[in-house]
Amino acid sequence: MKKYVCSVCGFIYDESTGNPESGVAPGTRWEDVPEDWSCPLCGAPKSEFQEQTVEDVTTTPEVSVKTNSTDDVRDLSFGELSAVFSNLSKGCAKQYRPEESDLFNQLAEYYHGKVEAVEETELGDLLTLIQQDLESSYSTANSIAAKNTDRGSLRALVWGEKVTKTLCSLMTRYEKQQEALLADTNVYVCDICGFVFVGDEAPDICPICKVPGTKITKIQRSK
Amino acid sequence: MHAVRNVGLCTKDCLCLYVCPTGATDTETGQIDAEKCIDGCRLCVDACPSHAISLVPDAFSPQQKKMDAVKNSLLSLSESKSKQEKLADTISQTTDNPILRQLAMALCKSNRLMTEDLLREAGYMLPQSENAQALIRSLLESSPQEDFPRDAAEKLLTILKTNNNQNKDNNDMEASKTLDNLMAAFTGESEANRKYLAYAKKAETDGNLNAAKLFKAASDAETIHALKHFEVAGKVKSTTENLKDAIAGETHEYSEMYPDFVKQAEADGNKAAVMSCTFAMKAEEVHARLYTEALETLEETEEVFYYLCPVCGNIEKVTPEKCRICGVPGSKFIKY
Repeated sequence: MKKYVCSVCGFIYDESTGNPESGVAPGTRWEDVPEDWSCPLCGAPKSEFQEQTVEDVTTTPEVSVKTNSTDDVRDLSFGELSAVFSNLSKGCAKQYRPEESDLFNQLAEYYHGKVEAVEETELGDLLTLIQQDLESSYSTANSIAAKNTDRGSLRALVWGEKVTKTLCSLMTRYEKQQEALLADTNVYVCDICGFVFVGDEAPDICPICKVPGTKITKIQRSK
Repeated sequence: MHAVRNVGLCTKDCLCLYVCPTGATDTETGQIDAEKCIDGCRLCVDACPSHAISLVPDAFSPQQKKMDAVKNSLLSLSESKSKQEKLADTISQTTDNPILRQLAMALCKSNRLMTEDLLREAGYMLPQSENAQALIRSLLESSPQEDFPRDAAEKLLTILKTNNNQNKDNNDMEASKTLDNLMAAFTGESEANRKYLAYAKKAETDGNLNAAKLFKAASDAETIHALKHFEVAGKVKSTTENLKDAIAGETHEYSEMYPDFVKQAEADGNKAAVMSCTFAMKAEEVHARLYTEALETLEETEEVFYYLCPVCGNIEKVTPEKCRICGVPGSKFIKY
């Protein structure tokens, strides 16, 4: 009996126990699991699963790392400034400093409004950027963070890469199934890491950052 | 450090009102009055049955130093995420399809959160940090457009307490009489702490358990005083500086102070003093070496264990068969 790991959230499908909650009986071989079956934790399609091998060491692919640390750090874009300030605003709220939180939020709102408008766009444009992130940016950033033993950055990169994979698989599924993917169910976003979940009810804990389900918020469908 | 109440968790059992010595917890706003709250008292924190109260520090340690290479790689991702946020936002605002709009809103929020997280790790974690303030200053100085919320930015700069504030206060204190007093008080309290511990040990041996208890409690009290005086005097610096200070102190002791003390004790024929000073001298040399190693490997995250000889104060990184200074069996060593 073999085991298969979801490359998005790390959920393990064990052939011996199956997954009765999603209608897969114990002892069901991977080949016999329906093709439209999806990860019960994060909703990733069956194709995102890989067989768990014994020497399953998490090997980081060798990438040529640009180590020129004298490169100047560029100025932040308006969108990034907005995110820096909205995050600092949250930081103040966590410290019970509502006044500072509000002031930071004013800066965040200001820069949010300054982001250059986009004329016309579709999901495909997002997918192009996502694929670029997944193909090169994350592996490069991971290697550099590991080399500098920057645990905080590694944490953000591990969460971010998993979330990005869920977005990629979600958009790919939407392109195929269109509205049918979401018509009779709900969409949730984790307030902490940004994990997006499609399902009837939010998971008890976020499969990526492990925050309790109370911090996973439903996205309402407006007319 | 003052107490704060998580209103979402508070079950209104009101034990915090019963225990608070200053009435800081009894307010009409639902929040605890920081002005009245006593620094580090924590009576309400321990009394609250629903764990709704915690302590918020007034000062924070700086974020881990970020290397430019790490920053640049995080920024290449934050740029992409920020663009995706805008694309998703645009889709959600322009589409007529409610389901696509819902999905786009989820993507927009998700990308904002990832951008925030990446930038936080790129050096903008703490609102009070010098980094965050420098960013606001640079935006103010780069002659922003008229609609820039200048008031908010300036107000933020004035109310954010920097990590450096405390150090600045300390600079003013240099060479003042108060600093001398604080350091004299630190020495006195530290001495009283060790003295009372010795007295507690004696009282315990003699069977005077109540007196032993009081000596222990008083000894801990003197530690509280000593630590506070030392902190207020501005003597606790960054761990790098603290390690350097520790190395200098231990080196002075083993290379200058104790050798003279041992000679004097030998000349006086005081064998016990020769032994206690020799043990200490050898142990301080080990401490200086370990502090030096710790300084060199400060950035490393692999956990290290230390083993303390309870007889002479020698410290090892692996349990030895017997202590190389006093010969006590390795099984007696205490693990840290």
